[in-house]
Amino acid sequence: MKKILSLLTLLVLVTLVLTACSSDKGATTPANASVNNKDVVEIDFFHRWPNEPRKSFYDQKIAEFQEAHPNVKINVDSVLNDSYKEKIRVLVSNDGLPDIFSSWSHSFAENLVSSDRIMSLNDVISEDTAWSSNIMESQFDGFTFNDATYGVPFTVDGKAFFYNKSIFEENNIQVPKTYDDLIDALDSLQKAGYETPLVEGLTNTWAISHYLGTIFQRIVDPEILAQDYTTPTAKFTDEGYIKGLEIFQELTSYMGEVSTAIDHEAARNMFAAGEVPILYMQFAEVKMVQDIGDVNIGFFNFPSIDGGKGDQTALTGAPEGWMLSKNAPPEAVEFLKFLTSPETAMEFTKADGQLNAIKGGITEENANPTSLEAYDILLDSSSTAVWFDNAVDINVADIFMRGGQSLATKQITPAEILKEVQQAVQKLQ
Amino acid sequence: MLKRIKLVPMLFLLPTLLFLGVFVYIPIVQNFFNSFFDFSVFSQTKEFIGFRYFKELFEDKILMTSFANNIKYAVISVIFQVFFALILATILEDKLFRRIAPTLRVIYFIPVMISISVIALLFSFIYNPQMGLLNSFLELIGLESLAKPWLGNATTAIYAVIAMSQWQSVGFITMLFIVAIQKIPKDLYEAADIDGAGRIRMFFNITVPQVKETMFVNVLITVTGSMLVFNEPYILTNGGPGISSMTLSVHMYQLGFIKDNMGYASAVATLIFVVTAIFALIQIKVSGTGKDE
Repeated sequence: MKKILSLLTLLVLVTLVLTACSSDKGATTPANASVNNKDVVEIDFFHRWPNEPRKSFYDQKIAEFQEAHPNVKINVDSVLNDSYKEKIRVLVSNDGLPDIFSSWSHSFAENLVSSDRIMSLNDVISEDTAWSSNIMESQFDGFTFNDATYGVPFTVDGKAFFYNKSIFEENNIQVPKTYDDLIDALDSLQKAGYETPLVEGLTNTWAISHYLGTIFQRIVDPEILAQDYTTPTAKFTDEGYIKGLEIFQELTSYMGEVSTAIDHEAARNMFAAGEVPILYMQFAEVKMVQDIGDVNIGFFNFPSIDGGKGDQTALTGAPEGWMLSKNAPPEAVEFLKFLTSPETAMEFTKADGQLNAIKGGITEENANPTSLEAYDILLDSSSTAVWFDNAVDINVADIFMRGGQSLATKQITPAEILKEVQQAVQKLQ
Repeated sequence: MLKRIKLVPMLFLLPTLLFLGVFVYIPIVQNFFNSFFDFSVFSQTKEFIGFRYFKELFEDKILMTSFANNIKYAVISVIFQVFFALILATILEDKLFRRIAPTLRVIYFIPVMISISVIALLFSFIYNPQMGLLNSFLELIGLESLAKPWLGNATTAIYAVIAMSQWQSVGFITMLFIVAIQKIPKDLYEAADIDGAGRIRMFFNITVPQVKETMFVNVLITVTGSMLVFNEPYILTNGGPGISSMTLSVHMYQLGFIKDNMGYASAVATLIFVVTAIFALIQIKVSGTGKDE
């Protein structure tokens, strides 16, 4: 009898252990239900700004939305940049996509869309023109595939050389118009005592991709570029890529030994502290620089390259926006509209300093003169080139980006990188 | 009667077997099957491609660099963690150090308790080329010519990562040795003392043979650990600059979750499994662990 009893106790214990591990949800729902008797719609919201000031901005927006919609509860999660790219891939692979989440445009968005788990927003956009007509039409391109739009742009961004106006004036340096001018300026700065007149955090491979994307756009014939950036037709045999990589290597020679050991944030801090005269940065970073130091910022677009076949005044940059998962509830659509409303956009730029994709969304009211100057460069640019790592297949981008690191440490030659790329595209086809 | 006796131990084992099955064995088998398919996380379809990925393993330049780095990791870890830790443990157990040994043990063991992510962040500050402790220290003692951007230099990056691992793990291995040394009968040392043996003689003739079993276990832990190492290079360098500090696990992770090549990542995972299993089997065979004597 005793044995049977102990057996039974054991069985109960085993089942308890097993159920305790599997019934997280079952255990919490009754508790939740007893707190709120009403039907509460939960929305999972995932963005990539766990840092300030954006984190607080979104936390505040969530609070405002929940106040206006008592039946909605928003669960927010956020991780930074590279981790975001990885996490969203894991989420999409196991069908755990959040209801609403931030996304880059072009190949990043396209990959997500190919999972068939993203909501097409065509109806939402056409049904509520009062809302959708406020957003710059041109910025929808990067989220539109096969005539269906899957994302709503919220920020616009561009990449330019930020320079320290005071240092340029002190040393009598003109703003470079051509690549040769830039090299001259860097040489003069070095003579003036700036050991590393240009710097970049090359441990962030995306920073390399921004350089390479712009340089290739300037040098390579746009038709060849379009063909190479589309995986099925890609060849990467043009001489321009070699020249582009050589240019990148030449630029890294002004960055000193330190560049491969620091990240972009460290590089930005060096610029903001006035230690480095020039840094290739995004307009989104204006406020971050201003918050650290009182550098007198000026901008110039990546200068034209002699003999380059691309548009010499194009601006590299792309919008970022929001996407919804296919099964998102209607409340998530409401939240999307709230996040991309003109009011939110105005407040957002004021709080964060980043430029938004709302028509007339940047004024003297919510942006400082520096941001307004950046916005003008953006609106005036003759065309835009997408971030390189969003434009080509990640396997190709990775070879270029890691190759860029090795170029900076002189472990590889441009020809070797291109050969690896050619082998990679062959495998992909 | 007999039946009942057999059932009870089985029931005790059941939860463990279940968890091991679900979280260890089934995924290993699943992973092996996945390596025969070409598939992406974004698509629902899988294409059978047989052994193609296993052939590609042999042409993969990054894989070769990674493997070489894992071997470096293993060799340095065995030298430093196993041999150095044994010496450290012997010193700590010596009569001379009886008083301060507990304090030293705590100091050596603290790094084991700290999460590897925290340690990696800490070391990224130490290695920082501009204001890092390491370069500042070198300058302080007049060796500024040796100062380097440790993690940004293709030749030093992997060694900088390995060095951090040694600092973190040596305490754990030392503890295992201390336990083994404490189990050695004291009369062996007393007899040796009477015979006039010195400390070094005692170390080689008594301590080393007596802790042989533990030594093999420790070699096994460090070698398999070195083959699997992920966090340290991932956080400190992400395999860079270039591919200079890539390890097998980081390569596998990037193939799967960044380059979206799940099938090939599974093939690399299978390779890691096989390599680790071979090392484990060889060591079990050589040391005779698990055999009743």
